[in-house]
Amino acid sequence: MKPATVKESPTSSITRKIAALTVVFLISALAVDAAVSRGFNHLLDAVVRIDVREESFETGARRFTAGIGSGVIVSADGLILTNAHVASPRAVELSVTLASLERVNATLVGWDHWTDLALLRIDLAEVKRRGLAFTYAQFADSEDLFPGQTVYAVGTPHGLTRTVTRGIISNNRRYFADNRGVKGYETGLFNTWLQTDAAINPGNSGGPLVNEKGHVVGINSRGYLGADNLAFAIPANIAKRVVAGLSANGSITRSYIGIVPGALLDLEGFYSLKQNTGLLINSVDPGSPAARAGLRGGDIVLSINGTPADGRFPEQLPPILNIIASLPVGSTVKLVVKRGEQTLTPVIVTEKLESRQGEEWAFEKWGLTVRKVSRAYARENQLDDDTGLLVIGVQPGFPAAVAGLGRGDIITKINQERVISLDVAKTQHAAFVAKPAPTLVEAETDRRVSLYILKP
Amino acid sequence: MMNPFRLSRRACCWLLPIILIASAGLRADLPGLFKERVKSVVAVEFFTESELDRRPTVVFALVADNAGTLVLPPQAINNYTQPSKLKDFRVYLPGRAVSEYSTGEYLGQDPLSNWHFVRVEEKLRASLVPVTAFAAKPASKEPALGEDFWGIGLRGKDEDFAPYLMASRISLVQSLPERTAIALAEVASPGLPVFDNEGAFAGVAVGGFGQTFIQYSRNDRGLPVMLLNMEESSVFQLAADITPWLTRVPANVSGRPISWLGAYGLQPMDPEVASFLKLGDQSGCVVSEVLEGSPAEAAGLKNRDIILALDGRALPRFKPDRVVVAYLDRELALRKPGDVVSLTVLRGTERVEIKATLAEQPRLLREADRTYFEKLGFTAREFVYGDGIVRRVKLAGHKGVVAQFVKNSGPAGTAGLRPDDWILEIDGTEVKTYAKAMQKLAAIEADTTRSEFVLLTSRGGETAVLRVKLK
Repeated sequence: MKPATVKESPTSSITRKIAALTVVFLISALAVDAAVSRGFNHLLDAVVRIDVREESFETGARRFTAGIGSGVIVSADGLILTNAHVASPRAVELSVTLASLERVNATLVGWDHWTDLALLRIDLAEVKRRGLAFTYAQFADSEDLFPGQTVYAVGTPHGLTRTVTRGIISNNRRYFADNRGVKGYETGLFNTWLQTDAAINPGNSGGPLVNEKGHVVGINSRGYLGADNLAFAIPANIAKRVVAGLSANGSITRSYIGIVPGALLDLEGFYSLKQNTGLLINSVDPGSPAARAGLRGGDIVLSINGTPADGRFPEQLPPILNIIASLPVGSTVKLVVKRGEQTLTPVIVTEKLESRQGEEWAFEKWGLTVRKVSRAYARENQLDDDTGLLVIGVQPGFPAAVAGLGRGDIITKINQERVISLDVAKTQHAAFVAKPAPTLVEAETDRRVSLYILKP
Repeated sequence: MMNPFRLSRRACCWLLPIILIASAGLRADLPGLFKERVKSVVAVEFFTESELDRRPTVVFALVADNAGTLVLPPQAINNYTQPSKLKDFRVYLPGRAVSEYSTGEYLGQDPLSNWHFVRVEEKLRASLVPVTAFAAKPASKEPALGEDFWGIGLRGKDEDFAPYLMASRISLVQSLPERTAIALAEVASPGLPVFDNEGAFAGVAVGGFGQTFIQYSRNDRGLPVMLLNMEESSVFQLAADITPWLTRVPANVSGRPISWLGAYGLQPMDPEVASFLKLGDQSGCVVSEVLEGSPAEAAGLKNRDIILALDGRALPRFKPDRVVVAYLDRELALRKPGDVVSLTVLRGTERVEIKATLAEQPRLLREADRTYFEKLGFTAREFVYGDGIVRRVKLAGHKGVVAQFVKNSGPAGTAGLRPDDWILEIDGTEVKTYAKAMQKLAAIEADTTRSEFVLLTSRGGETAVLRVKLK
């Protein structure tokens, strides 16, 4: 399910920005063939630069990194749409540079890594106090896009504020899913992407892709590293739904049944399917609702709640998965499934979709940073359950490193207490801080259990 | 099994400050002693047959007895290589023209020493002298610090495996868990014997010990690297501990009987942990997992139990700590299936006595049946107990076959099959047994009209449907 080539989220970093200053200046001899409309100018006033300072837990301590991205204001009350990989819950400081070059603070309303979208709200009180002004962009219907249509990308590539690049829609239904594409979180499972050859560089992330009228058709998200102008944007129609969801609830809740689809391609001959449709189940997550209902790899889903499923090609998979994901949690899904000559009609109750990426935390006195083991992570790594904290960093010379803990270890017990939640460890750490004493840690690596002592 | 590389990283700390000191004090009649003792070493060449090629291996071996038994070091042969794939054993006398080799026969691997045994054909036996013929009488004492030793090295095949002398003196003796001497410099080729000044057999050189260096280059500033000398070793296991192993000729090529407890992932208990648990300077091994259907399970051993004593004797403390795991493995390997072992374990804060009856080890990877389907482009191998451990599959779920080998760009490889993929279904039918899989795959291979077939495979707990195009 992973794309063949490595992709990188084009968030700009400070270092990249410096490197970009050694740009070779080129004089463009291109004729301006697209009339720049009034709408386009309006759009330009709605595009912002976003400066982010965020936490990182990779090194055994809580550290801060800085990044730059783009965004577009989408409402009169100052909601800004950007990428989830630009503004995530790890952000501790978000500031927005308006078209007037004035800088204002913003807060995170919510994020949705599955579609790589995040919503910020500009500090309206500050805007009012300082007498600043902004406009907001209009969405176009991204279903109307056609390959070859001219589009423009607006954003802050390599920190170069207010850069407009031009290209065409190269493909309007590109499929790729990436299991750790947004800061280690999954993305792209439930939507297809717009592909464009408009130049997208690190820092363009979160900026709008617009048509000639200046209406937003997509949110620029990522590109192939080392390729020439193969960039991807989230379609506006998906973005509109996510904006509505995030502004209402601060998050998007999806339903999960636990099937991993594969494209049927021309397997219908093998499965002797009468009609040329169906969704091939490649894998069923152990312990998931689908697994409990007895589904397994190799089954073909013919219909979902009475709607025929047509999953012959990879591009067709996200919309089908989205049917299930869009149901309220706890909904009943009626499937018609073909297994060899048999036809099954399992009824499955959905659960809440969760990420494989658990919450991260730093235990400063131990010099230890961890990530909670999630159900999905446990499943992927064939752990018994989601007990434990995955070590993602240790600081040399601190108790955890001295005891011999290292990246990849999974801490399962602290002072004989099972680490069923991050809070268990937080309490133990607080006790250690209050009254430093040797602390017994049980950790597992590759199914080997070792004991360690954290000494004050 | 202990990983020699992990251990050696510690060993290198001792070896780092060593400076080559020319050994003085060797006897004047050394050439005579050397000439006699070279008769206890040979070079052995053999070929490992795989689906597509034949790879030669050259190792040095020790003469164990008068019956032409040769001992090859553990690393000579991969653990998962089927003995039937080892072909064409050739035995070369050091210094004699390589065209005059003798043939040998593979006898199997001893589960205690992990040594491989080979028997050379009759005609060469008269030219060989078992290394035990040079045993010290009375039995040698533990070598003293600074004592001189010498050993034999063999040059390459292009030099007719010419023997040469190495000598050094002892800088340290450690229990790893065998008493092991570390010399100031290389004393012998791995697998070859070391002798004392009187010419008495003192030990066998072991490979796998490395030294840490800092590598400077134009691009790298001070990159730490570990160097392993594959041809010569400065470390040897003392004769007193390993001489008994020379007689452990496997009864059959499988090396069975092999005793089995079923305590998986033994990890050493850190001294800090011991003192935290109020165990003083007691040594111990943490049991990561008790394997399903094993004697350990039947005896009531539990995951996370800490083994403190075996048959009433406390586990000794070693440096580094991890040696205790190798010690316990060795102790268990000394026992036979059917033997009863009693283990004293710490469970939580309670001491528990456990009596387990060792069983015969389940079928090993190297014993698993396998078949190469040339037209399909992969080798299907029987699913064995170890596959279940690796994939965390309960006994009840043991089924299907494993892709042992996948030919590059072959039909199965192109369809996405990878080595180690677990094949659960063939053409939509579950394959419960190896025999069933063979039947299905052979039928597909034989059917010239077939244009494709479908596999359901599992990798990392996730299944996938693979369509293999044959035309």
